[in-house]
Amino acid sequence: MMLRARSHGWLLSSPYLVYAAVFVVFPLAFSLYLVFHRWDGMAAPVFVGLGNLARLVQDPLFYRSILNTLEFLVIHIPLQIVFALLFAVALNSITWLRGFFRAVYFMPVVVSGVVVTILWQQLYSYDNGVLNTILTHLGLGRVPWVTSPALAMPSIALMATWKNVGLYTVMFLVGLQDIPAEMHEAARIDGATAVKRFLRITVPLLRPTMTLVVVLSTINGFSLFVEPYVMTGGGPLNSTLSTVLYIYNQGFYFGHLGYGAALGFVFALIILVVVLIQRKALESA
Amino acid sequence: MCRPSTATAVLLLSALLAGGCSRNRSASGGGGAVVTLTYWTSTNRQEVALATELVGKWNRLHPKIQVRMQQLPVNQSTEEVIVAAVSAGTTPDICSNIWPGSVPEYARAGALVRLNQFADFDSLVRARMSEAAMAGFRSEDGNSYQIPWKTNPVMMIYNRQLFRRAGIANPPRTYSEYLADAGRLTFDENHDGVVDHWMGYRDVRPIWWQRFFDFYTLYCAAAGDRPIVEKGGVTADPQVCAEVFGFFAECFRNGFYPKTFFQFDPFIAGNVATEFVGPWTISYIKENYAGQIDYGIVPVPVPDSYRGPESTYGDHKCMVIFSTSRHPAEAWEFLKFLVNEEADLRLLQVASQIPVRRDIVWAPSYRSFFDANPDLRLFASQALTAREVGQSPDEKEIFDTISQVFEECSVYNRSTPNEAAAALLKRIGAILAWNR
Repeated sequence: MMLRARSHGWLLSSPYLVYAAVFVVFPLAFSLYLVFHRWDGMAAPVFVGLGNLARLVQDPLFYRSILNTLEFLVIHIPLQIVFALLFAVALNSITWLRGFFRAVYFMPVVVSGVVVTILWQQLYSYDNGVLNTILTHLGLGRVPWVTSPALAMPSIALMATWKNVGLYTVMFLVGLQDIPAEMHEAARIDGATAVKRFLRITVPLLRPTMTLVVVLSTINGFSLFVEPYVMTGGGPLNSTLSTVLYIYNQGFYFGHLGYGAALGFVFALIILVVVLIQRKALESA
Repeated sequence: MCRPSTATAVLLLSALLAGGCSRNRSASGGGGAVVTLTYWTSTNRQEVALATELVGKWNRLHPKIQVRMQQLPVNQSTEEVIVAAVSAGTTPDICSNIWPGSVPEYARAGALVRLNQFADFDSLVRARMSEAAMAGFRSEDGNSYQIPWKTNPVMMIYNRQLFRRAGIANPPRTYSEYLADAGRLTFDENHDGVVDHWMGYRDVRPIWWQRFFDFYTLYCAAAGDRPIVEKGGVTADPQVCAEVFGFFAECFRNGFYPKTFFQFDPFIAGNVATEFVGPWTISYIKENYAGQIDYGIVPVPVPDSYRGPESTYGDHKCMVIFSTSRHPAEAWEFLKFLVNEEADLRLLQVASQIPVRRDIVWAPSYRSFFDANPDLRLFASQALTAREVGQSPDEKEIFDTISQVFEECSVYNRSTPNEAAAALLKRIGAILAWNR
């Protein structure tokens, strides 16, 4: 009877086990195998020992892509948090058309990243873009949003913030609704101003949500791909070449799947270290 | 509750279904059985129509060798589809949309049938192209794995109306003439302080294949027979590379080319005066804007000192037989049928694309077509000398490097043309060394 129950247990969990074996364990193990091989996806892999890792250490484009990704994160995460928190506080306090506004802010999240990027490409276009047309009509100069190496990554970070802010707004909204109303009430009676209540009550009590938002937006930020792939191709002058885009180019454009796997593994380790440091810092703050 | 008998039945059913699917892939057998070949064609509407017609005719004429036509599975590029299919062992018998630059990779992986093993390969090739032209399609191991099928030689289209308005009688032939005309054809029409007409336009994103239609086209036009890479070594002419980088640098620095991204074709919209295009643009204009655009077609510009014959980038597509084919001899017969004189005429008539034939311009079979389509005759005449990319397995990476250097020098003026040419040769050398 017990044996039968155990076999049923295995049978019931088999869909997940098969899924994990096919889509998680096998790809991970195969990627690790590829780290030590040269493979173009067609011919048999050739063992190169630590060759891929040795190349990676000397690859200036890999370091450039890491710096680009960090630049994106440094701009994107604070923007994301500030705007998401502001929108959440505003949406939490309005009573009129609350559902409508929440839907409006969330809408970009569900629109395909490619579609959003193509739309923003039209906004950012230097010679005939909507933003520059407005600026020139106002008598101001045109801004090379995505054709200047200095501005391209900040412009992409701004677009990514617009796209994702709705998701984090919802998270902050949930956090805000968990804060007991009595605390604000008591503070108000004690004479605390709105700003003080926000800084001394709302922000500290939102710390768990903040940690979640920072970690999630860091991980999402590290996987930056669609925006530079569609909008800039990694240019100008490699200023928007994100690490994932570089890995994609090496693996799937140039057929260096072994080198791509090596880049991917090292990059995953970097993400792990950054997220651990971030969590530690946020939890001890 | 899931009884073992039910689970067994499900497994058996799955196995039967899987078996059925795999058996369906290629019906064949001995003793007069029907051989079925799978043929992958491009997904564009005209080529699908052509392939449907040709396959239908073949199947009527050859009841024992039936061909099943399929459009290439949807993906970003044909190359990605083929790599996935080679990896999975699911390649068709024949494919007709192969970029020559990818053939060495497939050949190195053992994915292609060596075509020069067929007795009539040489005679077929000799009828279609010169020995010198065919040499550009031969792999570094000396074998031939592809039959050049069609070409889209790149030429310069120009807007006659804009040229007339600027008081320019003839289109430019040299870089100096082009740049001089550019100064008159780049302007702000509505006087709002924003330039809205330019001499030309190129996608400035560092996307490797975009360089086929600017840097490489002008390199081919000026470098004669010197490929970028040959037999594992860098053979590019640094002087020509510098001249081409310098030409585009002038175009961008003076604002003759916008650093922007259009979601529409700016030539069709009348915003740019010239563009480097293949014959596909002519078909597109005729189909959608007949009589609305007054255009002319001329060879692409060359350096002022150039005195050689006209040449350009050919943008060829080839046919191959994959080594997964269980019937390579039959596949070869079908491939020959796809490139016979009549099929080539239908390629012109149905798809407005130029077949790779040495007699294309003067053969009587094609004369009436070209009399009715004089623009395409211009492209056909360029086809005879059009160049292709090299036969190195690293072509994509080489063109990515060209794209990076083009961006540094021509678009953003971060290096001089001579520095760019030197950097290009050095970086390509490093790629070849790493991949060897």
